[in-house]
Amino acid sequence: MANSNLPRRIIKETQRLLSEPAPGISASPSEDNMRYFNVMILGPTQSPYEGGVFKLELFLPEEYPMAAPKVRFLTKIYHPNIDKLGRICLDILKDKWSPALQIRTVLLSIQALLSAPNPDDPLSENIAKHWKSNEAEAVETAKEWTRLYASGA
Amino acid sequence: MGSKVSDDHLYTVRSIVGSEFTDMDIIRALHLAKNDVTAAINIIFDTSTPKSQPTHAINKRRVSPPKSTPPTVTSSSKRNADVENKKCSVESKSIDWWFVGSGDVAGLSTCKGRTIKSGDAVIFKFPAKKVSVSPSPGKVFGRAAACSEIVRFSNEQDWEIGRIPNEWARCLLPLVRDNKVKIEGKCEFAPNVLGIMDTIILSISVFINRSMFVKQHQVSLKDAANSTDESVFHPLPSLFRLLGLSPFKKAELTPGDFCSNKRPFSQTVTSLHAKSERPLQNGHENETEDTVSEFDLENIVGVASSSELEEMDPPENLLCDLRPYQKQALHWMIQMEKGRPRDDTTTTLHPCWEAYRLADKRELVVYLNAFSGEATTEFPSTLQMARGGILADAMGLGKTVMTISLLITHSGRGGLFGSQPITQSFIEGGEVSDTGTIPNFANIPKKVTKFTGFDKPTKQSNSLTSGGNLIICPMTLLGQWKAEIETHVRPGSLSLYVHYGQSRPKDAKSLAQCDIVITTYGVLASDFSSENAENNGGLFSIRWFRVVLDEAHTIKSSKSQVSMAASALIADNRWCLTGTPIQNNLEDVYSLLRFLRIEPWGHWAWWNKLIQKPFEGGDERGLKLVQSILKPIMLRRTKHSTDREGKPILVLPPADMQIIYCEPTEAEKDFYEALFKRSKVKFDQFVEQGRVLHNYASILELLLRLRQCCDHPFLVMSRGDTQEFADLKKLAKRFLKGTCNASEGEEKDALSRAYVHEVVEELRKGEQGECPICLEAFEDAVLTPCAHRLCRECLLASWRNSTSGLCPVCRKIVSKQDLITAPTESRFQVDIEKNWVESCKVTGLLNELENIRSSGSKSIVFSQWTAFLDLLQIPFTRNKISFLRLDGTLNMQQREKVIKQFSEDSDIQVLLMSLKAGGVGINLTAASNAFVMDPWWNPAVEEQAVMRIHRIGQTKKVAIKRFIVKGSVEQRMEAVQARKQRMISGALTDQEVRSARIEELKMLFT
Repeated sequence: MANSNLPRRIIKETQRLLSEPAPGISASPSEDNMRYFNVMILGPTQSPYEGGVFKLELFLPEEYPMAAPKVRFLTKIYHPNIDKLGRICLDILKDKWSPALQIRTVLLSIQALLSAPNPDDPLSENIAKHWKSNEAEAVETAKEWTRLYASGA
Repeated sequence: MGSKVSDDHLYTVRSIVGSEFTDMDIIRALHLAKNDVTAAINIIFDTSTPKSQPTHAINKRRVSPPKSTPPTVTSSSKRNADVENKKCSVESKSIDWWFVGSGDVAGLSTCKGRTIKSGDAVIFKFPAKKVSVSPSPGKVFGRAAACSEIVRFSNEQDWEIGRIPNEWARCLLPLVRDNKVKIEGKCEFAPNVLGIMDTIILSISVFINRSMFVKQHQVSLKDAANSTDESVFHPLPSLFRLLGLSPFKKAELTPGDFCSNKRPFSQTVTSLHAKSERPLQNGHENETEDTVSEFDLENIVGVASSSELEEMDPPENLLCDLRPYQKQALHWMIQMEKGRPRDDTTTTLHPCWEAYRLADKRELVVYLNAFSGEATTEFPSTLQMARGGILADAMGLGKTVMTISLLITHSGRGGLFGSQPITQSFIEGGEVSDTGTIPNFANIPKKVTKFTGFDKPTKQSNSLTSGGNLIICPMTLLGQWKAEIETHVRPGSLSLYVHYGQSRPKDAKSLAQCDIVITTYGVLASDFSSENAENNGGLFSIRWFRVVLDEAHTIKSSKSQVSMAASALIADNRWCLTGTPIQNNLEDVYSLLRFLRIEPWGHWAWWNKLIQKPFEGGDERGLKLVQSILKPIMLRRTKHSTDREGKPILVLPPADMQIIYCEPTEAEKDFYEALFKRSKVKFDQFVEQGRVLHNYASILELLLRLRQCCDHPFLVMSRGDTQEFADLKKLAKRFLKGTCNASEGEEKDALSRAYVHEVVEELRKGEQGECPICLEAFEDAVLTPCAHRLCRECLLASWRNSTSGLCPVCRKIVSKQDLITAPTESRFQVDIEKNWVESCKVTGLLNELENIRSSGSKSIVFSQWTAFLDLLQIPFTRNKISFLRLDGTLNMQQREKVIKQFSEDSDIQVLLMSLKAGGVGINLTAASNAFVMDPWWNPAVEEQAVMRIHRIGQTKKVAIKRFIVKGSVEQRMEAVQARKQRMISGALTDQEVRSARIEELKMLFT
């Protein structure tokens, strides 16, 4: 019922996500709500998150694609732009959203954010501070968390 | 070897001799008897000794009974042995056991040489519940029951004498096993010396356990509902029948009515059978296009002879006059809600139940549900039946107003019915003086009646908030309901709330406070699903006084979320409003009945067994039954219904239907012919390959192109797949050229040539792309100054304001003026503005509009293709015809605005409307002309659209004109429609693949 009037664009995006997934990213819609996606992102190589499998949830609001999807990390992650609730500080998810962006591009951006944490625009003050004051140690913590929470998922 | 012992024989012998004998014994006997079963049985009884004697059964002597009382033996089962023979005697006078009655049974001897005398008590042995050891259950012949179902009886010495007939065993076994029933028996007559298969007359007395009635009530109903088992067998009613008990009050409806062949049928409804078979053929569910025609509908549901109904005046709070037939509806609806007078309902037996008087001295009465086999000692009254019904008046008769008058006349709070007979608002409104209209209200006894079994089982009814009226309608009608209530109801007499949107409150209290809550099916379904998670859903935590489903066929798919949600609502009164109670399938009715709680039809098992299956199998009784169910609960009048004096109930200004046949120009004809030839070649290929039905989508696509070409050749040139018709390009050129020469000396010759050249070039390259926003092929693409291509609509929709915004691709600021219409990928692959040429239909339409322009009457122009509406805007603008447009892209507010403006602004002459937008409910009586530009496969849809103007409120004469291009596929469509309207209606739609007759397709390609 809820899925019957799913916009063509969402159907198309979903089909493409499933048929040609982006490397290191999998996104599959929930069976009972085609606007809700279960997402897995592999930690990028040469980042503190390497080897980790991060679960996220992604939801396409009613206004999508005129409004950004809502994305949240479900796996605990130590990252200056991600808070402990898994919320992500990423401009394209907020004011820089453009309808020309897609689920794929959003997830690729998040993957990129894992490679390049941006402590200057923090969501999690403490982690950002840690990152700025002692990056090596912060990276170690991030690796530790990846081992603890994001392995073998 | 004389013969091989067959399993059948083995099995037959086994069923007689019982399981004391081994297979080997029996096989040996059969050999000796040369496979003669009777002889073999004799041999066994004469020669063999059973391997095991039933010695473990201890036969207790009873307390010596009074003469008339038969020996008391009950059997209960245990699974400890292959053959279970444990018997125990119980006091028959126990208060837990009620004597039902006794009957004579013809038992069958299974022994030889033993004796039993008249008056001897017999002991019954019930087999344990175990899997039958039957060697080949599939081959069971005749009526032979499985071994495990044989009930044997012995004499007092515990020697087996015989067995009782299967029909008795079948009823008794489950009942005795569950300790619901016990039996006692004695011999009435037996031959002096028993032989195998001799008849022994037994008298059996049946006692029923009181506990059967204690918890049974709820459980069995559920069982019946969940049972997918087709063979619904209810032992208790069968047992009653065997005992010769007849109900002193019979059920009005019994399964026997439909299972026996006795009922004659006065009415044959043959036309429906083809209908019922179609879904099976298709193998998938029908979609909305597959509508049941008016004719079929009337066959199924009939039309009320409305002249018999009384009228009822609405209270003064209703600010409009009702027509007589609407007053009849009001009276009927009020009657349906009040039900029969209270005294009647409490003493009238529910039609599915029958009452039996037991033979017990305590004079007990037991009620049996003829459908579910359920038994109770409590009187099942009609009070538990639904209040409400189906108002199925045809479109345009004013169901909304009738319902509003009902809301005003009879209003209240859920759950308080009976304890508070006259409603709150009624008193507050000061209208009590008018009590003459509802005389029975004062007489209603002030006792609160339990509506047990109707509440959602998870919730206690008393935890629900009492609410007022809930109206559920499609989103498009939300505004109209609100507007109609506001205009027709005296301000201040009813509070109204529209429950819609993201921020709608979940709080039940605020919802319950309103007299009328309007919401959509979408909200209903979403509240329902969220309620399951959190259990605090707003709509479901209220006991409504009344729930009204507008366009109730929305819930027709019984498994859909919205249908289940509707059925889960708790309400005292329930109404379905629909012009099409059956849209595709008889099954549609099931959902409505489930919502209305018309017992027992809300249980799939019953519906399926007694109605759906027979109907699909071509048995008219299924249909007959539906008619008998619907008749009392449904009111249906059509525009052709007449009143007492035989006058039509609704007098509308006359409608003039006319078909305008257009003569195509030479250029158009050539273009069409070329397209047709190409299409026919393809079609013939499919026919040759015998793959017509496999390529159904492609064929419909071919037809679509041809039909569009009839509207305007530009529509065909516009498509991305024009490459397939590459040689058409020449014709396109010619068409354009012809245009320039023909139309009043426009000097765009050079430009258009260059342009067409470009189009051809682009096409050759096959350059295609997709809009980054909708991910579809470009439609009306624009180029930004930053060289990004997007659909115009997508781009503009992404902007906050209408004049400028960011490029979605590169975020550069772009203003609307800077946009360049991308030539190649526009909706039309020719620049329609610059190369505008009228097609014969457009010319015809413009002539018509010109003729009526001076009269000032408004017109609606329908087409099924929005692209054609786009095209029409060009000549309209040039000819200064002021118009508005209503299509599927508009949201609810925008639609309302357009309709309002069209109705109120006298300068607006034309409303361009797409089929999709023109669907249900919209009232456009401001217009008195309708132009149907292209024929639809389904005439019902066409009619529905035209009904937008020809309905209540229309004061002027209505002219409906349909355009058909001569000698084209359109004309053949007409022929096909006329020839086999029902077959084709809905079976062929543009998008949907349907299996229709190849013959008819061929007819289109002639």
